[in-house]
Amino acid sequence: MTDTMFGSENEQWVCPNDRQLMLRAKLHTGWSIHTFQSERQRKAQALEKRELDLIMSVIHRAEQLELIEQHRIGRLVERLDNMRSSAMGNGLSQCLLCGEVFGLLGSSSVLCLDCCMKVCTKCGIETTAGGQKRTQWLCKICSEQREVWKRSGAWFYKALPKHIRPIKDSILDNRKPVIERGEQLPVARSAPISYTWAQSRVYLSESDGSDAELSECSSDRKTFASETNQRRDSESSGGQVQTPQSSFTSPTRGNVHIESPSSLVSEQSSSSSFNPGLEDEVIDHSRTLLTPPALSRAGSLRSSSTSQKSEGPQADANRDEDDLDQAFGATALVASKKEEEPDVEGYDSDDSTTLGTLDFSLLYDQENNALHCTINKAKLPVPRYKKGLKPMDHNGLSDPYVKLHLLPGASKANKLRTKTLRNTLNPVWSETLTYYGITDEDMVRKTLRISVCDEDKFRHNEFIGETRIPLKKLKPNQTKNFSNCLEKQLPIDKTDDKSLEERGRIMISLKYSSQKSGLVVGIIRCAHLAAMDANGFSDPYVKTYLKPDENKKSKHKTAVKKKTLNPEFNEEFFYEIKYADLSKKTLEVTVWDYDIGKSNDFIGGVSLGINASGERLKHWFDCLKNKDKKIERWHTLTNELPGSGYND
Amino acid sequence: MASVTDSRLQPSQKDAADQNFDYMFKLLIIGNSSVGKTSFLFRYADDSFTSAFVSTVGIDFKVKTVFRNNKRIKLQIWDTAGQERYRTITTAYYRGAMGFLLMFDITNRDSFNAVRDWATQIKTYSWDNAQVILVGNKCDLEDERLIPTEDSQRLAHELGFQFFEASAKDSINVKQVFECLVDVICDKMTESLDGDAAVSNHKDCSLQDAADEGHSACAC
Repeated sequence: MTDTMFGSENEQWVCPNDRQLMLRAKLHTGWSIHTFQSERQRKAQALEKRELDLIMSVIHRAEQLELIEQHRIGRLVERLDNMRSSAMGNGLSQCLLCGEVFGLLGSSSVLCLDCCMKVCTKCGIETTAGGQKRTQWLCKICSEQREVWKRSGAWFYKALPKHIRPIKDSILDNRKPVIERGEQLPVARSAPISYTWAQSRVYLSESDGSDAELSECSSDRKTFASETNQRRDSESSGGQVQTPQSSFTSPTRGNVHIESPSSLVSEQSSSSSFNPGLEDEVIDHSRTLLTPPALSRAGSLRSSSTSQKSEGPQADANRDEDDLDQAFGATALVASKKEEEPDVEGYDSDDSTTLGTLDFSLLYDQENNALHCTINKAKLPVPRYKKGLKPMDHNGLSDPYVKLHLLPGASKANKLRTKTLRNTLNPVWSETLTYYGITDEDMVRKTLRISVCDEDKFRHNEFIGETRIPLKKLKPNQTKNFSNCLEKQLPIDKTDDKSLEERGRIMISLKYSSQKSGLVVGIIRCAHLAAMDANGFSDPYVKTYLKPDENKKSKHKTAVKKKTLNPEFNEEFFYEIKYADLSKKTLEVTVWDYDIGKSNDFIGGVSLGINASGERLKHWFDCLKNKDKKIERWHTLTNELPGSGYND
Repeated sequence: MASVTDSRLQPSQKDAADQNFDYMFKLLIIGNSSVGKTSFLFRYADDSFTSAFVSTVGIDFKVKTVFRNNKRIKLQIWDTAGQERYRTITTAYYRGAMGFLLMFDITNRDSFNAVRDWATQIKTYSWDNAQVILVGNKCDLEDERLIPTEDSQRLAHELGFQFFEASAKDSINVKQVFECLVDVICDKMTESLDGDAAVSNHKDCSLQDAADEGHSACAC
């Protein structure tokens, strides 16, 4: 201890100032020290109050910056501890962080360079350590640890600097008043001491400065109350340095000895804002304390191990949760499949295997508003059954049939079906299915979906494949042949169904008879009505109104057609009305399902008048413009109609 | 109470601005009085220069954040007074510095002759892994040059420091000096972490013992 202090004194003492250097240059002398010069030095070294205030303001500014830095390091340490506590695995047969099991079926593992634990490739980071050619792996915890050491400066000071964690902010606030009270005490105590010195020393100069210095010394004494007796004596003698008379009477060696305590006092004062200095002093004075950094790191590893062991039960719980999630996911998938296609089960097919081909032709008869679909033949693959299900068809053949739908729209209303061919993978149907009431607008907007299915008597029919044709590809009155590959089942857009729920088609004829001075409404027929009965059919009839109608005199009804979705009515109704008044009227046509013993079901409706749009408005205008001419048009029935709540 | 409130408000305000950086390096500028330490710092931090000489009182610092090697690095740069009377205060701040700028004036031979003494102070009061760069300031005053560049380079090589000639007045090599110091500290940081990973606990202790012995030898 004494040797170290003496060495330190030597080091500081021989550092020259500007004057000494100039003097040496002029006199060409070496390391000589004169008492006279030393005395002048000492006077110059006394700091004025103004200078002290400046220095203290800088120190205060540095302390604030240091406090912010301590909070930042505290957040880094907090985050690292959170990562450690959230580790799930044991690091041997499981991933250290996410707890994933290694093995033949599990993921591959890598070894962390720092903690020698195993992690999966997702929870590890690949690094190139030093100049080594092969790559090294670090788990995310050790990588974060390295990052904390870089960002906090611990790499330089060989230990983690002082830091404040986010949770301890309130404690810090409580500590501040205590510090302030501590600071007040030395000032109160220094007054009588200064007074005593003033009485005994005649040549004391700059009493204010001396008071400030003494206050600082007292504060230091308070801070380092645990110092040894030797240090206390040093500080006590250090306080006397400020008095020139005292130093003048001291011998030369005494001067050398006194210089160092002042330096120590100042350093200790500054170290209050510079905590690494304390650690440095400890390291300088004792070798045995050099092990704390290594021990702290070993302790960190032990803490990590303990954390891993305690996380064991949680890892098991998390695994159970994963199983539950998978089961729920499977259930959701099953429900989704059922919702999409109630008639046909979902078919899991290999992407690389074709689902077969289908030959068909399409013809749009524009004059008759008819779409003719001729299903010729198909070439189907050998069916594969789902894993775990026993095959029902032992011969490896299918019983195929074809379904047609028009998208978007209600699937049941516009569904057509071919007959089923038995025990064949190369069916030849040569069958024509026709959609009626297809307008030019539909040809632009609609898509025809053709599905090939396998019929089974004892369970749900199996889906084989499908293909879709946008109808705008077809030119009117031209037959087009297709030979398409079948694809997997595509999802149906449900939003379209909600906004455009179609309930079938109706053909209406309009004619204004000048001779009779009234409107003749003809209900020709309907097509593809929605099924309202359990047997898959409806018993439809049609009602017509010419609104506004105060007395409901304009109500007309057709006859009921039993058990059909494509009824033919061929009935005409007459409305007596002046031609000038006709433009203010609206014809309302509704289709109903007749039920015995209970309320009739509403199937769909349509309005023709000034407020209508599209094909309906055109039909109404054509009727007004062309008197005494019968005009027939197809119209789409929808489930939304004002006043559709009418019941019989 | 007032001071407590003030201290609470200031950190919260600075938090938003100050937290957006990756590393924090503390640098220290030392050298004889009037070689241009404060002007050098003002040129780098504020890009301003004043010819009038005002002696620094004790200690001061400035903060500047730079973007280097895809990292945001916050530099706390301490400016020290070169006069002897402030020596006890300035040496206290050597301990926390990661890098040093050791400055002399190429038109002042005394400041160049003092470089060895300043280097000895660095070894005495700072950590042994601190990095030092030797800077010869006022290179714009070519007519008054007293220190040949070759002499400066020889001394820098002997002491193991990198050497730059710079001018705070004409903004010559000011930015390059700080960038070089930051790069050297970053390399040292990467080295130390890789070394820590490769060395076992036992060797770690022995390395520190060797460092301590080196420190003692320097003291002697």
